[in-house]
Amino acid sequence: MKDQAEMDNSMPTPSKISASGVQVYYGDNHAIKDVNVEIADKTVTAFIGPSGCGKSTFLRCINRMNDTIDVCRVEGDIRIDGEDIYDPKVDPVQLRAKVGMVFQKPNPFPKSIYDNVAYGPKIHGLARDKAELDEIVETALRRGAIWDEVKDRLDAPGTGLSGGQQQRLCIARAVATEPEVLLMDEPCSALDPIATAQVEELIDDLRQRFSVVIVTHSMQQAARVSQRTAFFHLGNLVEMDDTDKIFTNPRDPRTESYISGRIG
Amino acid sequence: MSYQSRHGSLLTEDARTRKRNRAESRFKAYGLTAVIASVLALFMLLASILSNGLGAFQQTFVTINIALPEDKLDKSGVRDPEVMAKVSTFGYTPLIRDGLVQTLANAGIETDQSAKALLGLISKEAPAALRYRVLANPDLVGQTVSMELLANGRIDGFFKGRVTMESAALDKNTSPEILQVAQQLADDGLMTTRFNWGFLTKPDASDQRPESAGLGVAILGSLYMMIVVLALALPLGVAASIYLEEFAPNNWITDLIEVNISNLAAVPSIVYGILGLAIFINFAGLPQSAPLVGGLVLTLMTLPTIIISTRAALKSVPPSIRDAALGVGASKMQSVFHHVLPLAAPGILTGTIIGLAQALGETAPLLLIGMVAFVKEYPEIGIEGFTDPATALPVQIFNWTQRADPAFVERAFGAIITLLVFLLFMNLLAIFLRRKFERRW
Repeated sequence: MKDQAEMDNSMPTPSKISASGVQVYYGDNHAIKDVNVEIADKTVTAFIGPSGCGKSTFLRCINRMNDTIDVCRVEGDIRIDGEDIYDPKVDPVQLRAKVGMVFQKPNPFPKSIYDNVAYGPKIHGLARDKAELDEIVETALRRGAIWDEVKDRLDAPGTGLSGGQQQRLCIARAVATEPEVLLMDEPCSALDPIATAQVEELIDDLRQRFSVVIVTHSMQQAARVSQRTAFFHLGNLVEMDDTDKIFTNPRDPRTESYISGRIG
Repeated sequence: MSYQSRHGSLLTEDARTRKRNRAESRFKAYGLTAVIASVLALFMLLASILSNGLGAFQQTFVTINIALPEDKLDKSGVRDPEVMAKVSTFGYTPLIRDGLVQTLANAGIETDQSAKALLGLISKEAPAALRYRVLANPDLVGQTVSMELLANGRIDGFFKGRVTMESAALDKNTSPEILQVAQQLADDGLMTTRFNWGFLTKPDASDQRPESAGLGVAILGSLYMMIVVLALALPLGVAASIYLEEFAPNNWITDLIEVNISNLAAVPSIVYGILGLAIFINFAGLPQSAPLVGGLVLTLMTLPTIIISTRAALKSVPPSIRDAALGVGASKMQSVFHHVLPLAAPGILTGTIIGLAQALGETAPLLLIGMVAFVKEYPEIGIEGFTDPATALPVQIFNWTQRADPAFVERAFGAIITLLVFLLFMNLLAIFLRRKFERRW
């Protein structure tokens, strides 16, 4: 781990996502203040911080979900594979096919399990025929670690699953479009510990294929699943480093206070 | 022990609790009283409508044998309907009179009334009905046919209890003696009161012949208007709502539009009538009394209702569904049409049907665009029918309550029942559709 960290510092590999000087305003409220972040490919990056610190806001900048909020204004530069995603030529719809998202509350469509997963590939035209679509759905459900539980009832409504299953279905739905980056906004906050453990295990698997960015309230979770951790406080990125470094030897006193439970 | 002393025993109510409980039971009593009062009022309303109006669905008919002599009806002998049409309804009246006298004689009913007075048993509509039958089938000429004719409104009223011997004595249109003849005919089975489809299918009739007045033109007119309203208000309303709810920028123009849509829903309907008169008839030159114009006016009136309910339905779709769709890379329009709209559909349908039901019962704007006219001709079946003169159900009710003959009051109540049945049916449809399309999320 230490070697890897040194490698990161000494010889910066081209990052998957690189953000510099990002400012976000909600009306007059300055929610994100001058944030610079580099996110590597095929790693899990955790954003931690107290409520209202801007970590979710920043996450939603990466696939431009903030565009749907009228009063929200984003400044600065966010690049994925070197391309500015806020360039006027970028269509957010195309961007979101590349950057998938899993939300805090499981939100399957009120359709069948199959249709939930097949929807993304369908609208992006990823399958030429039914057989290919079946295959995509199966692969996605397997990657979502839910295939064995639902393979016999793909026509059942997705909303009829348990909370943990719904969240894994949502993850399967997100990976079905073959994104390159997967954003997760507190994916386990509505789940019980067993479901949480299953999702965490899944996140570790997903790292093989995607760059995962996860926002979490649980520091234990960040420590368990992530390789890199960023600590946000009052809209500032206080510190970003390897996860074990953040939790064992933080540089900033605020980080230290937060992880030891004094602020939050 | 210390708890005991501070709070007293739990087994006895303290003064404050007693006061609160009393206030609560008082409030429940007020609420219950209000509910009972409304149910009673509704019950009385329905009872009065039903008791007054059910009679309109029954009608008294008299069956007589009528000789159709060739020398009166078809002197040429060619049985050509066009030639025979020269004989007007007046030519058929003596035939009916003679047939009636003959029928009475055959039945052994004796009366000192003149043949002309006896003709008062039969509707003034009867000669026209006979003529219509003969022209449709000229071969009947020369034969004696048995025909069921509408009884006069007074006679009909006698069998329904509206006209009595005492009231007939004061009535110049009938007399107790005639009623006695009618009673004898009924005893012989020649005069019967039975269900009357004509009430639902026939056009309106003049003041003198309430017994033949029906709702046919009004129902057809209302149907045409509903088609216009549905075809215009639903797509316009849903499109406007989707734009305002999902796409419109959040600025003062949008706010202004929103406020004004709410205001429009509260504008008195007669104002829409004046608007329709000014724009559709005076400016655009569309015909008066046409279901097309009525439908356009009612569309204007229904739009705010549909927009408001559609927006409420769209708003009630959880934002997480939109996020989910956008998150997998759906465009805004795909997220609306694939996910939000299907979930909002039950609410939209309910709102639309309620709007339609409102439009179906609306009278005031139709008065101003001339749909209150006396219309005896059915509008064409088909696209031309939308510009033919017609009336509408509520206007027909209004019309009939203006007529002098009490038989029209019965018909007005009957029309109210018909209108209520249509509304009930539409509301049931709304409930059914909501149940069918409702999906939980």
